[in-house]
Amino acid sequence: MDAAEVEFLAKKELVTIIPNFSLDKIYLIGGDLGPFNLAYPWKCPFGWPINLKQRQKCCLLPPEWMDVEKMEQIQDQERKEETFTPVPSPHYMEITKLLLNHASDNISKADTIRTLIKDLWDTRMAKLRVSADNFVWQQEAHAKLDNLTNRHMDQCNQIKNPEINPQTYEHLIFDKEAKLAQATTFLI
Amino acid sequence: MTEVLDLHEQDSDGGSEEVVLTPAELIERLEQAWMNEKFAPELLESKPEIVECVMEQLEHMEGNLRRAKSGDLKVSIHRMEMERIRYILSSYLRCRLMKIEKFFPHILEKEKMRPAGEPSVLSPEEFVFVKEYMDHTETHLKNVALKHMPPNLQKVDLLRAVPKPDLDSYVFLRVKERQENILVEPEADEQRDYVIDLEEGSQHLIRYKTIAPLVASGAVQLI
Repeated sequence: MDAAEVEFLAKKELVTIIPNFSLDKIYLIGGDLGPFNLAYPWKCPFGWPINLKQRQKCCLLPPEWMDVEKMEQIQDQERKEETFTPVPSPHYMEITKLLLNHASDNISKADTIRTLIKDLWDTRMAKLRVSADNFVWQQEAHAKLDNLTNRHMDQCNQIKNPEINPQTYEHLIFDKEAKLAQATTFLI
Repeated sequence: MTEVLDLHEQDSDGGSEEVVLTPAELIERLEQAWMNEKFAPELLESKPEIVECVMEQLEHMEGNLRRAKSGDLKVSIHRMEMERIRYILSSYLRCRLMKIEKFFPHILEKEKMRPAGEPSVLSPEEFVFVKEYMDHTETHLKNVALKHMPPNLQKVDLLRAVPKPDLDSYVFLRVKERQENILVEPEADEQRDYVIDLEEGSQHLIRYKTIAPLVASGAVQLI
């Protein structure tokens, strides 16, 4: 799965918007939407509020977790723990990127948030690389990886060359049961 | 306009039960089938009922949009959603075709060996496609190379020439229903097998072979 598809999946997340138009209830195949009243906040799946915002028809509100103090707390926790901590949302990278690109005027301290998210991402990727090393050297056959998002796994899959077989590389490794709490990946 | 769809499902005894799905659940199932198909190393069971129902929904919506002349916004929202669903559907079918083209002799062999009650891995159209693909490949190989070779070397065994799907490859998965006692085989010879329990909502990295039946039954989701 490549990054574009991960973003495609992220577009199902709900986000709050404040429309500057009114519309009755819409019956989509995937569920109902609306009705929209002027200036009344409403939650809807992420894909088309971006479209609306580009047409200047609504204001996007940042989700509750996109706040400087909260992000700093999450960042601290991530640095302290060896394993992966729960993320604010399974699609935090994609949502942040899209919101900051299209709606940075609706978000306070957009630059700080951008830096914080980048730091969080870097910390997690570093942990991923370390665990991958452990994984390979200890010849495990299974790993438990809660709290890894689609984007992380997508990175792992990309590193892996599809032509390479595990049989060719006998030193491929997976976590032992004792290390079930660690997140791991392939580094080939 | 939220309609309820009837989905006919075959169980292994050959009887059929109706499963009633809302359109939202149908799209959810399509997405799950799409993700599973993307990450599984082999061709998974075909789901013709989901494909047909989704096509029906899309055509229905297309018909409505053509007739509707109301404001720009509603129409564009519906169109965006239709494009999304269409993309998922075509990506799903494309993924299956790619796997069929990659592993065609093994798929045909499996289809021949399949016991009568088991559901097929191929839809009827896919089956026709595989047979034609096989014939064309054989004809092509014969015309390009084989007929110029000495008579005792003029056969090629496609089953041995084409690589098999690698069921030992590792996949990421998310657990939807709690499973117990999954046997994990070790990499190295000194280690022994051990069993693990899969908790609901957790994510794992494991060999595809171990969890293949769970994917088929829907107890785990590949990610």
